[in-house]
Amino acid sequence: MTTGPTLRSELSELYFRESAAIEQEFSVSGEGRTALGRRTALVDSMVQRLWKEIIVGSEVAGSDVISSRSSRGRADLGGPKNFVLVATGGFGRGWLFPHSDIDLLFLHSGGNSESELKDPIRRFSQELWDLRLKLSPATRSLAECERLDPNNVEFAISLLDCRYLAGDRELFSRLREKAVPRLVERDCQSLIQNLAELTRARHHKFGNTVFHLEPNVKDGPGGLRDYNVANWLALISAMEKLKVWPDTKTLLPVSSRRAFDAALDFQMSVRCFLHFRHGRHDNTLTWEMQDEAAARKIGASDVEIANAADWMRLYFGHVRSVHRVCNQLLEEIPAAWSSLYRQFQGWRSKVASDDFSVVDGLIFLKQSKQPQQPGGLRDPEMLLRLFHFMAEHGLKLSTTTEYRVEQALPALAATPPRGAELWLYLQETLVQPHAADALRAMNALRLLALLLPELKGIEALVVRDFYHRYTVDEHSFLAIENLHRLKESKSEWDQRFAGLLSELEQPELLYLALLLHDSGKAVPSENHIELSLRLTDSCSERLDLDPVDRETVRYLVANHLEMSAAMRRDVFDPANVKLFAEKVGVPERLKTLCLMTYADVKAVNPEAMTPWKADSLWQLYIACANYLSRSADERVHTAESSNPGPSTLASSNLAHVRSLAPVAGKKINVFLEGLPQRYLRIHGATDVLAHAEMAARLGQDGVQLNLKQVRHCYELTLITTDRPFLFASVSGALAAWGMNIVKANAFSNAAGTVVDTFYFTDRFRTLEMNLQEWERLKKSIAAVIKGEADVARMLRDRLKSEKLQGAKVKVATQIEFDDSCSAQSTLVQILTQDRPGLLYRMCSLVSKHECNIEIALIETEGQMAIDVLYLTSGGAKLSAERQAALGQALQDELATK
Amino acid sequence: MTKVEAIIQVSKLDAVKDALHEIGVEGMTVFEARGHGRQKGHTEFYRGREYTVDLIPKVKLEIVLPDEMVEKAVQAITGSARTGKIGDGKIFLSRIDEAIRIRNDERGENVL
Repeated sequence: MTTGPTLRSELSELYFRESAAIEQEFSVSGEGRTALGRRTALVDSMVQRLWKEIIVGSEVAGSDVISSRSSRGRADLGGPKNFVLVATGGFGRGWLFPHSDIDLLFLHSGGNSESELKDPIRRFSQELWDLRLKLSPATRSLAECERLDPNNVEFAISLLDCRYLAGDRELFSRLREKAVPRLVERDCQSLIQNLAELTRARHHKFGNTVFHLEPNVKDGPGGLRDYNVANWLALISAMEKLKVWPDTKTLLPVSSRRAFDAALDFQMSVRCFLHFRHGRHDNTLTWEMQDEAAARKIGASDVEIANAADWMRLYFGHVRSVHRVCNQLLEEIPAAWSSLYRQFQGWRSKVASDDFSVVDGLIFLKQSKQPQQPGGLRDPEMLLRLFHFMAEHGLKLSTTTEYRVEQALPALAATPPRGAELWLYLQETLVQPHAADALRAMNALRLLALLLPELKGIEALVVRDFYHRYTVDEHSFLAIENLHRLKESKSEWDQRFAGLLSELEQPELLYLALLLHDSGKAVPSENHIELSLRLTDSCSERLDLDPVDRETVRYLVANHLEMSAAMRRDVFDPANVKLFAEKVGVPERLKTLCLMTYADVKAVNPEAMTPWKADSLWQLYIACANYLSRSADERVHTAESSNPGPSTLASSNLAHVRSLAPVAGKKINVFLEGLPQRYLRIHGATDVLAHAEMAARLGQDGVQLNLKQVRHCYELTLITTDRPFLFASVSGALAAWGMNIVKANAFSNAAGTVVDTFYFTDRFRTLEMNLQEWERLKKSIAAVIKGEADVARMLRDRLKSEKLQGAKVKVATQIEFDDSCSAQSTLVQILTQDRPGLLYRMCSLVSKHECNIEIALIETEGQMAIDVLYLTSGGAKLSAERQAALGQALQDELATK
Repeated sequence: MTKVEAIIQVSKLDAVKDALHEIGVEGMTVFEARGHGRQKGHTEFYRGREYTVDLIPKVKLEIVLPDEMVEKAVQAITGSARTGKIGDGKIFLSRIDEAIRIRNDERGENVL
């Protein structure tokens, strides 16, 4: 039997008329929930009419026919016994979006029913397709519904939203009240695990972030799918405990429910709007749609909306709350996880501190740290410790902890922490492996903008371009995350850049610069960098950064696009390399800028950092790094070159020196005469002035020493008249004191005055524990320089008293001479295993071979010493014979322990 | 119609784009490419390790043009991408039978 043309055209007319009315009503009200309700009712009525016509009207052989009224008095339209039409999935929930599939389940009791029902089901489905409805039908027996099919978990999940439509109500009751609870009870863990895996895979596809410039409102993280996942997880968990259907109103905590429901209403309206506007099942919130939705205030009739960016902030606020609840539920259902995962979570629970406890990977406040307690969350330090703890251990905040943080914010807003104390906590957080997650959590709770108002403008900010995929704040967090992920990455490129990251002296400044680099995008303009710099200055002031650190962060923000621009030129052209290297000036800045470029490009979208770009960036980096170490004496400073020339770091430092001490011009000129440009690149103006003052005092005392603590190490500056064995003697004296030289520079000016700087760590904490030892160390070094103490004996005594430990990483010695890169000197680069007294041994040997160290650039990276020496002999380059002899002697010396 | 494929130096991309825009070429497809012709690879040492680049980064442009535009486009590319040194790149021309605009099934040169 087929449906008569009259009914088909009647239904068709009804469908198009009602659909148009629903769309019309939505265009006026913008109320998604109402539209979905009306559309569900419309389709309900159509399938029920068809059921009556096709199923009830057909003669299904061997089937008993049920009466058209159930015992409870509700219409069930009759039809064969043991056969029922069930709405599942979104249709079952009563959320039928304009272009969504209609999920229908033809449920029978089993046995011969399926073959008997095959033809009416086919006809029923055909009619719906002919009416242009997108049907997604399934036919199952009751027994099949009770079994979990591992290849189709989605079907089992769709039963959680089953709703009676027509047919045998008794059979439906057996499905809902018995089969589904039994399925959940038996396969609870498997259901949750599968659901979690599907959700994680989906989140991964969207880069695990809600902050997309053109988000998918259904499948994107925090979208409607996540709303459902959260409900399903809570439902399965509750049903497993209760063995019956729980009250759905009590599934989620009240604290989450309000925001969660508001998000649902909003997202329903948005998705409904998209379906109507696209005219198809397309859930992408494109820029055009954002403009239109903002103009029509979709989902936001009672909120002030100025533009699309405002509306998108509202959108992100809603999806963020859904994403948060969904993720928390994924984490909070321990029974669902594998034993290995539980073991891991159990292990993480042991990382609890005095302030926090950890349960199943979630951070809880200890009772004494509740906001109302003294020293509780209202104490800013406590709050900052919380996020530091999160960043360190990769844990998430529990719902109750988030609630406590939110409670503490109003009090904190009155007197937000600032200055060095805030920077201390912030920098410690930024360098932790999970810093990006902690920043995201701070941002979600509105704490980040409270601490650093400079970032408020980029919160959930959509800036439209064809390359970026994420909002500006998420892009910045992702850039920070990209750097932290380098260490664990197996990719060849990541490992190379990870090596650079481990060499940075102050990675926290790079992370801060990444946080601020696009802050200027808050105000649309041709050049966001100018505003970013103003905000960076304001932030540096807020954090009370020291002037040198302030300048570094400023430099990175100002130049964060420079290396990408340089990559667009020929990275193998020595002229381009020279130009860029001189602009950057010093190796540390080059490394930092290179890492910033890598992290920034990679955070644009997952495909942005192609192997092609990574290769070009690396080639540019190594070419510039080599240029900087091999051109240290290329441009010797003279009085003439102090005139304004091309803008380089050296020339700007010189200008700064002159501005600081305008009257000391002559004294400074005398001191600088003959010093390499590199000296001006690596020493700031304040240092240069101090060195000039020290040089002026050489007449009173021929050895000028200055010792100070700088961050993680000590800095010793020596100014004296050049003499043989000088650099070796000081290196030896420091080693004899148990100091580990990690970096050193040695320069001399035209008058033969040397400026040597040694950076060392205090292996035995001698200086830290005994303040009087500072003076003793200086006196000891002065005595060595003046020939009053025997450095060789001092060092021998020290080495005798130390147990030599085997190196963890073996570094083969490599010695390379290069006559071509300097006009006056022969360059020798020595890579070897670091060890106590190494520099002394090498430099003594150099001096014994009658070579003068013009410039020394000493670096240590892990167990590898990288020393570059510019040598002369008799004022000229080293002859081939001398090079061979020195090379052999160094090889022999370094072969011994 | 003719397809123009030009493999050029990365640093010349902006100049070539400008030159093509000037003669009225509006659309093009650009690929990141690697390769070498007679210009061989490049080796750099860093921290004692050798980093060899056998295939040098290049940019490849693809444009399909009406035949009467081809010679002008070739002139524009060679004029703006040439340095006179090895490594400037190559241009390849090939015949195209048909062009179809996906949006509306339009065919022929109008699509270009």
